[in-house]
Amino acid sequence: MTAFMQFLKDLLYDSGKAFGLIYDGGHKIWAGFNLPPLTLDIIFLLIAAACAAAFIAINALFIIWFERKISARMQLRRGPNRVGIFGIFQTVADTIKLLIKEDITPKAVDKLAFFLGPLLVMTSTFMVFLVMPFGKGLIAADLNIGVIYILAVTGLTVLGLLCAGWGSNNKYSLIGGMRSAAQIVSYEIPNVLVMLTIVLLSGSMKLGDIIAAQPTVGYVWMQPVAFIIFLIASNAEINRGPFDLPEAESELVSGFITEYSGMKFAFFFLAEYTNLFIAGALGAVLFLGGWTGPVLPPFMWFMIKSYFVVFLLMWIRWTFPRIRVDHLMEFAWKVLIPIALLNLVVTAFVIKFH
Amino acid sequence: MLKYIKDIITGAITLLEGMAITFKYMFQKPITLQYPEQKAQMTTRFRGRLVMPVDEEKGDNRCTACNICVKACPNYSIAVERLTDETGKPKPKAASFTYNMGTCMFCNLCVEVCPFSAIVMSEEYELAVYDRKSLIKDLVAEKYKLKGRKGKWWISKFKDEEQV
Repeated sequence: MTAFMQFLKDLLYDSGKAFGLIYDGGHKIWAGFNLPPLTLDIIFLLIAAACAAAFIAINALFIIWFERKISARMQLRRGPNRVGIFGIFQTVADTIKLLIKEDITPKAVDKLAFFLGPLLVMTSTFMVFLVMPFGKGLIAADLNIGVIYILAVTGLTVLGLLCAGWGSNNKYSLIGGMRSAAQIVSYEIPNVLVMLTIVLLSGSMKLGDIIAAQPTVGYVWMQPVAFIIFLIASNAEINRGPFDLPEAESELVSGFITEYSGMKFAFFFLAEYTNLFIAGALGAVLFLGGWTGPVLPPFMWFMIKSYFVVFLLMWIRWTFPRIRVDHLMEFAWKVLIPIALLNLVVTAFVIKFH
Repeated sequence: MLKYIKDIITGAITLLEGMAITFKYMFQKPITLQYPEQKAQMTTRFRGRLVMPVDEEKGDNRCTACNICVKACPNYSIAVERLTDETGKPKPKAASFTYNMGTCMFCNLCVEVCPFSAIVMSEEYELAVYDRKSLIKDLVAEKYKLKGRKGKWWISKFKDEEQV
């Protein structure tokens, strides 16, 4: 009984140990049936992927509700409050509506690109969860190039957006896709520079090591400028907030998602909100110390910190009006990149001579 | 160079000011009215539909069938029939006051010209009906009772006139 209680406690506080027990036990039983161990590994991988997919879906449902509620309160409204308590099932109802809607493919679209757009966006979003440290040992693969991997994979989103914009065969969609590509490529640079500062401080690109190297309060106190630049740049990279030019309603109808409907539209929506969560989670991992924290299980700490950063991003989005395209580029190249570079250089000098 | 740094700092401060405002608003009470359950208190001069309220002191409506409102109505939405006694002599009293809401444009002219404050625009605003025939109403037979703030305002309207 105590062993079982210990196992449950491990599952909450030291998930790596508990999962190791499950993995070893499973392999022992599997060997008893004389089956090759590779098949069990594949099954475990599929289960992990299914868990990640379920997490993405449920998290997106919650985060959309959260955003609607926050935006409502900031505008002195009430937000959704009819379906379920505090309207928490509103997004579930919306999702069911989207699922049963007709999936229209317009006649003039480039079929392959039109189909690939949402797929690529969703795939690149999903792939980030490979290195997401949800808790102690609760990580699919702690790659030793975690930061580079995240940057590379999120960069793939641009391809999907360009595919969607080009494939829709519609000038608004094309402009939206092009704008988003330009924006993401520009804002990737300050983001990379900021992440490099963190890598310099921690001396590793492995997310687990970055979390372990942080003081209890996180890097945010040592790198406040970097944190602010990270917030701005990631806000621009996920096409939200004052930087939502790719889908600027007043100019481009809805940008690259204009022609999409039904499930394909839902994919874009899901990817957008999952990207928001990823930005929040990265902020938590790089600046707020990831899953470390007292009393509560690591997973809870990770979620609390991630949602704190998500809240900051929402706060920015619902406060500021959309900025102009040339201002957007000017801001990235003339303000963010010099400051991020300066920050990197100063940090490097301090580390060298400290 | 100095201007560049100054611009960044002032920009950051102004952005923070905006964020402070949204943060403050987040903890204020929402001003949303949950419409079907809660309803707004309309102002006394709000122009809902036309009613002929019953004057509590008189025990009846105040209409004298003078037909001024009929003449004032630009859309011919009002038709008044005068009450007669047994000999056929007309009495200063309306037998029926037919009001057609379908053609009414809620201009308030009939209320303004009425010398006895017999008719008034009520606070009702949910006026949709399923049948076009139910838009035509006989206000005398309806015996509408005007209550609340609007009722008090209506009484004060002719009470003040009597004193003058």
